[in-house]
Amino acid sequence: MEGGGMAAHLSVRGVSKRFGATPVLTDIDLRMARGELVTLLGPSGCGKTTLLRVIAGLTQPDSGVLELAGRDITRLPPYRRNVGVVFQNYALFPHLDVAGNVAFGLKLRKRPKAEIDASVKRALELVHLGALADRPVRALSGGQQQRVALARAIAVEPSVILFDEALSALDRKLRETMQGELRRLLRQIGATAVFVTHDQEEALTMSDRVAVMHRGRIDQLADPRTLYDRPATAFALSFVGQSLRLPGTVVDADGDGSMVETAVGQVRAPRRFLPGSPVIVATRPEHVRLAEGENTLHGTVTGVTFQGSRSVVEIDAGGAVLMAELPGRQALPDPGTPVSFGWPVAETLLFPAEEAA
Amino acid sequence: MIALLPPIDRDRRVALLLSGPAGLILLALFALPLGLLFAVSLQAPPGTPPGPSLAAYERLLTTPHHLGAVWNSVKLSLAVTVLTLLVGYPASFAIARAKGRWRSLMLGCLFLPLSASVIVKAFAWTILLRSSGIVNTVLLGLGIVDAPVRMIFTETALIVGAVNVFLPFMILPVYAVVAQLDPRLSEAAATLGANPAAGFLKVTLPVTMPGIVAGVALVSALSVSAYVVPTLLIGERYPTLASTIAKAYLLTREPAFGAAAGVVLLVIAVAIVVLSSRLAREGRA
Repeated sequence: MEGGGMAAHLSVRGVSKRFGATPVLTDIDLRMARGELVTLLGPSGCGKTTLLRVIAGLTQPDSGVLELAGRDITRLPPYRRNVGVVFQNYALFPHLDVAGNVAFGLKLRKRPKAEIDASVKRALELVHLGALADRPVRALSGGQQQRVALARAIAVEPSVILFDEALSALDRKLRETMQGELRRLLRQIGATAVFVTHDQEEALTMSDRVAVMHRGRIDQLADPRTLYDRPATAFALSFVGQSLRLPGTVVDADGDGSMVETAVGQVRAPRRFLPGSPVIVATRPEHVRLAEGENTLHGTVTGVTFQGSRSVVEIDAGGAVLMAELPGRQALPDPGTPVSFGWPVAETLLFPAEEAA
Repeated sequence: MIALLPPIDRDRRVALLLSGPAGLILLALFALPLGLLFAVSLQAPPGTPPGPSLAAYERLLTTPHHLGAVWNSVKLSLAVTVLTLLVGYPASFAIARAKGRWRSLMLGCLFLPLSASVIVKAFAWTILLRSSGIVNTVLLGLGIVDAPVRMIFTETALIVGAVNVFLPFMILPVYAVVAQLDPRLSEAAATLGANPAAGFLKVTLPVTMPGIVAGVALVSALSVSAYVVPTLLIGERYPTLASTIAKAYLLTREPAFGAAAGVVLLVIAVAIVVLSSRLAREGRA
């Protein structure tokens, strides 16, 4: 799936964009294989929507090159790029009915009427809206409008489909249903797609690879599993999943890694840093056990939450609140109990402190 | 009793009851005078047997001079409507796209003249356009012309002045729609393959059509019945329906003829409004 070896279907190279004096995108590189689903994930203001608009041709980059399906599209206007966009508010044409919206791009391409009708029917059936073809779009629910926007984008068979926070306006339950459905549908038609979202769950569920964006740069571009297990930066760690993080200073480094002095005790990590470096040491809550481990700290239980298949224990360690996620139905300590807790050195992550979000 | 009715019937009954006073006022202030106007227009001319007669209408619609007045009114209305639309449509976009202080300034420039009487504005134009007016003084001073250009009391002056007076009535309804226009609609059209011209014709224009229709209805109805502007800027040489009515009532004392001209004017104005709202409904469908 990585776009590395073969010629990339969509390639973004060295793209930068400033709005006035503010850099919004800085030297962005992104290569996608045909049929790949990639999410741009980040907080608001990280540049993810601007990058999407640059790919669509709605915003012109200051520098950099864009290639799509083997041609340079950097200077092409949006109407010559063959890119589909599903907007956050769907941007359906209010003066046209459902079928009129879906047929819009096909009519501009001057396809014969019979072909247009067939394509519209097929696209609407793909999104399960075949029965609503002649409804005015105002009469539709949010979920239905979302489907019309999707049908309108896929009907013209674009080289890439771009989703700008396309699911965020839906309520949680509908959003989760749509995530699964959308992924299946995009696989079925073999679409290449870029999603923009600030929802990490959506990013992990929907995509082959996730690009974590932070202050106009891609911090990490990786598959969801790698992103979760081996975040490249403290920002990627904090933005994806839960984690416990402690600031500290490297006191010793050898061939096996570094020893870090934190406010609540010493911790060993496999990554090597120069002694004296300010760092952030971290691990995921599911690696923590309420027993001494390779790394062991001491604290007081402040809260216990039973969540069915697992339990979450909150521990106060010298002012820092940490979390341990314990599987199954084991005996849990009462709040106020002093505990020792530990986790393996191999699951200990170390980042330079200045990367912190 | 009311509580036993199904909710919808009850709502309808309450709505009827509440709209009663407004209905009565409309009846007294509009339906009644219009009925009287129509009745007067059917009065037989003096010296003929009394009873309903279409003589006033016959005179109005067969005499070349009066038919010319009808045509002048329609012509003025057409020209003013087309020109205010051509100026007002892009102006509405400029206002809607302007930011903060600029937008307030533009809207202020639009609203403020509405507080000045139309007579004042028409007089202002006569001052600007007369032989010793500012425009001619500047043209002479710059050596562009050797003698003052005759501008006042021409059809051009009439149309320029009328466009100025009626422009706000085009811009306001168009602006109201344009301000609501989602800029993403044009972007969506572009990503689907529409170049700027196609995007405008297939999305922006149809979506803003209700504003255009409202503006056209307002301006054409106002300008077809314009009295002050033609009287001051072109005068006797250009009889209109409005000036025909004024003359019949004030000068020649022929109320039946004036009323007939009033009814014809009303029919034209209503036809314009009905036609444009029908166009709007078709545009939306």
